[in-house]
Amino acid sequence: MKLVDHTKYLLEICEKVDRDIASPTCKKLREHLAKCPDCAAYYDSLKKTIFLYRNYDVKLKGSHVEEILTKLELEGPLEIKLPSLQSLRKKHPR
Amino acid sequence: MDDDTALIASSKAGDKRAFGKLVKKYEQMVYSFAFKICRDPEKAEEVLQETFINAYRGIKSFSGKSKFSTWLYRIVTNNCLMMHRKKSHEPVVSLDETELLKETGELQVAHWGETPHDAILNKELKEVLDKAIENLPLDYRIVFVMRDVEGLSTQEVGNALNLSVPAVKSRLHRARLFLRNELDPYFRK
Repeated sequence: MKLVDHTKYLLEICEKVDRDIASPTCKKLREHLAKCPDCAAYYDSLKKTIFLYRNYDVKLKGSHVEEILTKLELEGPLEIKLPSLQSLRKKHPR
Repeated sequence: MDDDTALIASSKAGDKRAFGKLVKKYEQMVYSFAFKICRDPEKAEEVLQETFINAYRGIKSFSGKSKFSTWLYRIVTNNCLMMHRKKSHEPVVSLDETELLKETGELQVAHWGETPHDAILNKELKEVLDKAIENLPLDYRIVFVMRDVEGLSTQEVGNALNLSVPAVKSRLHRARLFLRNELDPYFRK
């Protein structure tokens, strides 16, 4: 494959790989993929890359809720900032 | 008022049990996202705990303009970045689009064989995927995971990371090209 002829398509493939290329905006790309096996292979490999990472998930072994709440208990209540007497007097002058 | 809004309001008033319900609801999401960034189960658990402790401390600043989950993504990201900075150095890799495309070669692009179609990936493949993404600089890794793996919109990723939409797109494209090239030797027929 001569890269120079295909760079713009490769970039477009990269940009549109997560979209529905059946849409009218992807017409030119679709036509190119139909006649260029190299770009079609590239498109396929990019789609598979995303698919694989999307399917590689991990499950949490046991909940951390109690542990986190215990740590927060040790921290005490949330700090509540009260307005100063001076700022209140400014807002509500007698 | 949805469930989250009520729980967030109670949490802001200091109700830790209400916050506990938010932890219960989002802990799997946070852990999974943290793992996808750190690629280490222990670090992911550490990030999980730090994230919710930071979230509780900062919940008064949560305005509700974004989704609660997007706000959590931002905290996870910050924690992962902080943890990462403590580590030594990051591999230096080229993420220039032209360079990445050149690596594709000027010859035929190889057809990848069949990839597993179910959610269960074998150990060897997991190691290949881990290694490839670990070579990707963290800033790019985060964008790829948020956008392509977690399915956030480009705008949401930008909001969570304080990046413009074009900056998100640029990082995403480079990350995709890089990862595809890293996996190429494994899948070439």
